[in-house]
Amino acid sequence: MKVALAQMTPHLGDVSKNLELHRSLIAKAKNDGVELLIFPELSLTGYTLKDLVREVALIPEKDPIFQELKELSRGLPFVCGFVEDKDTGLLFNSAAYFSEGEVQHIHRKVYLPTYGMFEEAKFFAQGKNFLTFPTPFGKVGLMICYDFLHYGASYLLFSGGVDLIIVISAAPGRGFPESGEEVFATCHMWELMGETISRFSTAFVFYCNRVGFEDGKAFAGGSFIFSPTGKMLTRADCTDDVLLTQDLDLDEIRAIRKKWPYKRDNKPEIILEALKRVIQKYED
Amino acid sequence: MKINGPFIEKLLTKFIREELTKFNFANGILGLSGGLDSTVSAFLAARALGPEHVVGLIMPYGKTFSQDKDDAGELVKLLGIRTHTIDIAPSVDAYYAAHPSAEHILKGNKMARERMSVLYDFSEREKALIIGTSNKTELLLGYGTLHGDMACAINPIGDLYKTQIRTLGRHLGIPEKILKKAPTAGLWDGQTDEEELGLTYEEIDKILYQLADLRQSRAEVLEAGFDPGKTDKIIRLIKNSEFKRHLPPIAKISYRTVGHDFLFPYDRDK
Repeated sequence: MKVALAQMTPHLGDVSKNLELHRSLIAKAKNDGVELLIFPELSLTGYTLKDLVREVALIPEKDPIFQELKELSRGLPFVCGFVEDKDTGLLFNSAAYFSEGEVQHIHRKVYLPTYGMFEEAKFFAQGKNFLTFPTPFGKVGLMICYDFLHYGASYLLFSGGVDLIIVISAAPGRGFPESGEEVFATCHMWELMGETISRFSTAFVFYCNRVGFEDGKAFAGGSFIFSPTGKMLTRADCTDDVLLTQDLDLDEIRAIRKKWPYKRDNKPEIILEALKRVIQKYED
Repeated sequence: MKINGPFIEKLLTKFIREELTKFNFANGILGLSGGLDSTVSAFLAARALGPEHVVGLIMPYGKTFSQDKDDAGELVKLLGIRTHTIDIAPSVDAYYAAHPSAEHILKGNKMARERMSVLYDFSEREKALIIGTSNKTELLLGYGTLHGDMACAINPIGDLYKTQIRTLGRHLGIPEKILKKAPTAGLWDGQTDEEELGLTYEEIDKILYQLADLRQSRAEVLEAGFDPGKTDKIIRLIKNSEFKRHLPPIAKISYRTVGHDFLFPYDRDK
């Protein structure tokens, strides 16, 4: 199977320009024989939206842009990020999986970073679910950026039987590693989680981040893919726009689960009951 | 505090290129003092845009700081950027003839703002975006003239401490003479930053890194072995210069107010 991560630079607040960018990357990927294409978080709008959120929000059932995206997915399923207007006026930071002319699944970002340089919860409503859904490649689960840094979210996808974890991101780069490598220190944090979650969920992890600057913030790229054995298959650099393509073997999922039975031995019922007891002891 | 020269160069040249593209400028302009910060900014701009797209303004005050003027001239030759030399003495002197003062800080600020005024005028003449040259140390200490040398359209080096800029400068191949020069705000002849502040940049940056980057409290910084007097001086300078790092407060009396809750990105529709 051939997968591509579109590490790109969206135009902030300009949906039509970004749609054009999607169109050309989808065409290129189709041409390259890609079978699944992944765009970064808020790929249709840019990240630092603030009060622009309302201007760029799309209603999936009604918007002609969504209709066009659905058509574009014929012959190549893809995941992209957008601002979703749902329940009459609530705005979500969402990811949609398009396939064969349909929206197969929408994930709404649950963990909205709101500290230091981040202010997402000021502008977005919070999603509530981490659900898997069936595709011809296996069960897929979506996460958006900060979702992935909360391992409970991965656990829910794992318990939902996930085979392919897709994380779309707009993660800014911060700090420099002591090793002197040409990456941001924060890139290691994402890779560490990628390695851990892929290995202990025995699932593929696809992490597609963006690049470019918005209001001075540098987005850190470094998109990567981990196999279900926890092996890094590919990684993009931190600064450049790139369509990162990778061939992979879906049979690896089945093979590794024979050796490491984490999926078989998962005990969500025990976790659920134990969590209830933990929560009961919470204090203000 | 360690930085990787090639990676930082790649990031900051990309930043300069992207910002100019977003705001539809082909050219960048900056003031050249002959010091390290403006030299590093000029190197980055020349590598990002090509030397033919960078304009350096050398703005001496008469014949003082003639060494700096010569160094700036040398740099221009080295980089192959375009340049103008504008003597600010006639306009500053005309003002002081009418409103005399012996206070050299006053005059230093006046000179910094005169240079800013020339820089903005030339940015329009040259259709060029102003590239700032204030570093993180200066920004945190407030060691700059408001609406003077702090004024710019974009600032590629504002998240690098002075000592990190020296590392970057070495990587960029900046002449040793400029790397070794004692940093000066050029407020008066013979002035050096370290003498005026009573601290070396090595000391300042290490303490600033603890306080700003590592979010350490005063107590934690002292526990790490830093000098109490020096630490307190730096904390005082940071606190007293908060106003230099913000736009002025607007009295909020309506439902939606500029600077409070009329919140759009700087890069809107870019």
